[in-house]
Amino acid sequence: MKSAHGNSNVTELLARAQALHHDLRFENVRAWKERNGGLAVGYLPVYVPRELLWAMNVLPVGVVGGGDQVEIIRGDAYYQSYICHLPRSTIELGLNGALDVLDGVLFPATCDVIRNLSGMWMMQFPDKYVHYLDVPQDFDTGVGGAFYRHELLEIAGALEARGARPLTDAALRAAIAAYDANRREIEALYELRRREPWKVPTHELYLVLKAGLVLPVDEHTMMLEDYRRLVIRDDARRPLDQARMLITGSFCEQPPIGLIKTLERAGCYIVDDDLVAVHRWIRGDVASLAPGQPPLDALVEAFLRNGVPSAIRYIDQDKKGRDLVERVRASGAEGVVFCAASFCDPALLDQPMLVGALDAAGIPWTSFKYAENTGQFQVIREQAGTFADSIKLWSGA
Amino acid sequence: MTAPDVLITAGIDVGSSSIKTVVFQDRGPSGHRMLAGLAERLRRRDPLDVATETFEKALSAAGIARGDVDYIATTGEGENVPFRTGHFYGMTTHARGGLFLDPAVRAVVDIGALHTRAVLMDDRAKVLGYRMTSQCASGSGQFLENICRYLGVTIDEIGPLSLEADAPESCSSICAVLAETDVINMVSRGVSIPNILRGIHDSMAGRYVKLATAAGANGVVLVTGGLSRDAGLLAAMRDANRDLDIRTHEHAVLAGAIGAALWGGYRARRLREKGLSLTGGAA
Repeated sequence: MKSAHGNSNVTELLARAQALHHDLRFENVRAWKERNGGLAVGYLPVYVPRELLWAMNVLPVGVVGGGDQVEIIRGDAYYQSYICHLPRSTIELGLNGALDVLDGVLFPATCDVIRNLSGMWMMQFPDKYVHYLDVPQDFDTGVGGAFYRHELLEIAGALEARGARPLTDAALRAAIAAYDANRREIEALYELRRREPWKVPTHELYLVLKAGLVLPVDEHTMMLEDYRRLVIRDDARRPLDQARMLITGSFCEQPPIGLIKTLERAGCYIVDDDLVAVHRWIRGDVASLAPGQPPLDALVEAFLRNGVPSAIRYIDQDKKGRDLVERVRASGAEGVVFCAASFCDPALLDQPMLVGALDAAGIPWTSFKYAENTGQFQVIREQAGTFADSIKLWSGA
Repeated sequence: MTAPDVLITAGIDVGSSSIKTVVFQDRGPSGHRMLAGLAERLRRRDPLDVATETFEKALSAAGIARGDVDYIATTGEGENVPFRTGHFYGMTTHARGGLFLDPAVRAVVDIGALHTRAVLMDDRAKVLGYRMTSQCASGSGQFLENICRYLGVTIDEIGPLSLEADAPESCSSICAVLAETDVINMVSRGVSIPNILRGIHDSMAGRYVKLATAAGANGVVLVTGGLSRDAGLLAAMRDANRDLDIRTHEHAVLAGAIGAALWGGYRARRLREKGLSLTGGAA
């Protein structure tokens, strides 16, 4: 039986998500532009306020590098060997024309590397809209909030000048409602995975989340609803004796899907993560944050108050450690896997403090690094497998 | 049907050249009894097909219905066996299997077709450390099988032949390709097959005992895996390090599967204590 949105089985739905994941020419985005006549603007990890773009009939398009599908030819000339892989594959995609469909790109203040990439983009693609989204590290509404509001209005003005619809309160309210619905549906999937991880393998969830980087938000929400409905009633998905893990550190450069499968085959149920972090960077609904105020205020408040305590926020380290421990407890994880991209300064510089918090709480952990194009997983398989064994056999699991 | 305090568990060790399966009766603290155990060569067949087939054969030999199995544990490359309840890693299972076969053992050297690993453990089979060969084929049973083909002998003949050696010829210990070249040279120079085989065994044995001592082994070491049946290799290992008490067991080739079945029983009891039952694997 077909679902309300046209997906009759999980295989078909995942095949669609997989096709979007593999389509580095962004044909889906091209088709949307032809149908709707709007602009498409890319954004780098970790977080941009997609609601603002969507309210102006601009399709936000997540750009997370070339994964394991792009051979780097020119990209290596732009970055030293001690820099992570994502910017070199992103610039490779730009130089080979794959990102021509984008009318501009937003570069959020994730790290120095992404900031520098924004400068390269300005020089390489002078006709495109490029904006380095500087975000406040002061979380007071009157200080950081005012700065952030100014940033958002500057983006809105620039997009309008390039032909986007003018930003209105009504459109922004509708966009916030659409993304709130999307966040709720994602949270429902995460909740289902916490409860019955065998129903929601992370290598599937990962594909469905990645589809949300290129799909219009309403379409993505329907895909999420379909996926949840279909897996709940799939009785062939049965529980195995696996160790429950939380993985953290993968919020920017995304791991190859083979790595996720390797962790799962090695005996791990991933019950919480920070993959494709843009979807879960704001916790809870945005609409309710500034009742009676203009919707832009709610968007600003969401950034200031409800952003996750991630590595890209300059906040008290204890708060990040406490948050990680709370996530471990809430998800019922039995261990933590630090799974960060090689040379990812934000993730790796926070790691010692997070390890301290886990050690103090008696939570076992292991760590390894990857690149988006890692193709050999044997060492990770051994490490994750023995870690899972140690939890199942020698802890209270 | 079995009594509630008695569990039936199965262990399936999917190796790169053969699949080993055991069925155990697990009485918890009262002990464990192996009801059936068998090893089946893959011979270019689909490992999942062979795993299913050997599992069914082992159940039949044990007189156990599939629905009465409380936990099906896989190890080795068995992560994809669809009817598993859980999977354990090779070093975890060989340690447990080794301890079951010989309670004095505190280290295991598992010599398989493609890899060799030395595992140090305590008296509960908790892994304390390990060392593994790299991906080079010279540390493996596959290499020995290739040599058998060059020399025209069967794998079962190499042990007894090696023990007949009177002047072993030294052989490259570094690289399978160089070692194979060495063997061809030896054959052309008229070196006897026993002396060639003992030279190869000495070369491999030197690597294995170094692996074991690097992992921290001292005292009793059990050789497990497919090459545990090779008497010539065991003799060479004993000569290579007389400080170690190198042993094997008639079921050493099944050690991984045995360890998996025993850990499976442990997990089944833990899950029962928590009120959880993973019946899917045995369905």
